[in-house]
Amino acid sequence: MKRSDRITAVVILTAVALVVVSWIIMHRTRGTMAVVRVDSKVVATVDLTSREPQTLHITGALGPLVIVADGKGSIRVTESTCLDHICVHTVPARSPGDQVICVPNRMVITIEGKGNGIDALAQ
Amino acid sequence: MRKAIAPIVALIVVGAGLATFFALRTSPEPLTSAYFLMDTVLTVKTTGGDAATINEHLHALASNVDSMTSYYKSESETVRVNAAAGKGPVSVSPEYAALLKAAVAMETIDPGRTFDIAISPVSSLWGFTTKDFRVPAAKEISDTLAYSHSDQLVLSDTTVQLRDSRARIDLGGVAKGYSLDVIEEYLHTVKPQPRQVIVDFGGNLLLYSGGRKRDWKIGIRDPRGQGIIGYVRSGDAFVATSGDYERYFERDGKRYCHIIDPSTGYPGTLNQSATVITDIQPMHGAVGDALGKVFFCSTAETQRSLFQAVQGQGTVGIVIVDAAGTPSTLGPITFVPTTTQ
Repeated sequence: MKRSDRITAVVILTAVALVVVSWIIMHRTRGTMAVVRVDSKVVATVDLTSREPQTLHITGALGPLVIVADGKGSIRVTESTCLDHICVHTVPARSPGDQVICVPNRMVITIEGKGNGIDALAQ
Repeated sequence: MRKAIAPIVALIVVGAGLATFFALRTSPEPLTSAYFLMDTVLTVKTTGGDAATINEHLHALASNVDSMTSYYKSESETVRVNAAAGKGPVSVSPEYAALLKAAVAMETIDPGRTFDIAISPVSSLWGFTTKDFRVPAAKEISDTLAYSHSDQLVLSDTTVQLRDSRARIDLGGVAKGYSLDVIEEYLHTVKPQPRQVIVDFGGNLLLYSGGRKRDWKIGIRDPRGQGIIGYVRSGDAFVATSGDYERYFERDGKRYCHIIDPSTGYPGTLNQSATVITDIQPMHGAVGDALGKVFFCSTAETQRSLFQAVQGQGTVGIVIVDAAGTPSTLGPITFVPTTTQ
């Protein structure tokens, strides 16, 4: 093998490695995350791809809320101090665009991440 | 031999360089912010540009619209107009007068009159303004309906008057869509331009990329279950949805949703949801918002003739989920149903 051939090989390998690395960077996705906000401030984030069920105790504008991630990709409000309990009766959130809202507590759970490839949800 | 492979090596290296450039160029993370406004949530997701400043400014713009149109806030022009009902004309800002005119113009698109900003006394009867829900008696509804009509409005460029002292207007049916109009107008002027901005204001969407993106994927929510029933693709657009699952109450196993059909005084029951996609033009956010209610309260037959009337005026397409849960579309859009396993 000539010296120039070796240089050629190194150049090609470097180029290919560069492509692989940038491909990984481009397709690096944080899994599907649930972000809990009270009054626009993030108070908790939950990785919905985790198999571990999680219970969160959050303080809303009115009082405490209990939020449960079931370990199967869904998250919902199970208890709230609000009067109408719209948040408790909302369909659990699991895909980007889904929201669980408690207006009296000024609390919102949004789902962020690549998920199902949908840009926005008409609802 | 070496001469032969030189171009190939050069090609590989240039190709790798380009691939790296494009991969890294598409990597800025979106910034998502959520704000409480108009009894719902305004979510802004901005990619590229000065995202933090943009998100804050969009919130300020929507807050201004809320302060102007709110049914409840004491400083709003709506509250002043309603308080003077039966008394005389109230002077209003040119912006408010223009929005009222546009909203009233929307009412005449449907001869069956399924959108009316003066229906709020009937909505109040059902408890939707106080959350003290009840099913009113038929006579109560017909009595209230007699003055819950835009005929009560006397409009000039600078004044508004409600003839009957019991008449009330509520711009809740166009305020979120109109906020998106104001937001879109601002986004066009921002420098540096963000790569894309997705605004979700209580079910009214603005998809903005400065015209670069032509394949937005818009999920259509399953009105009775979890997740989506399918999606449609679109370029930059306003997307307004009226659904019977947003705000409703149940009595004796029957669902009463918050969208009152002004032609009957009763909640709409003909469809589960109606999604209206309008193009990026001034006031088309507000127009789509109003049309969502019109299509939601209409039969399939009326929907087809209404679509003929609005198609040339910026309405791109409509997705209907009827009372049986069956989706259908109007216009040149393709609905791709979610494959069930």
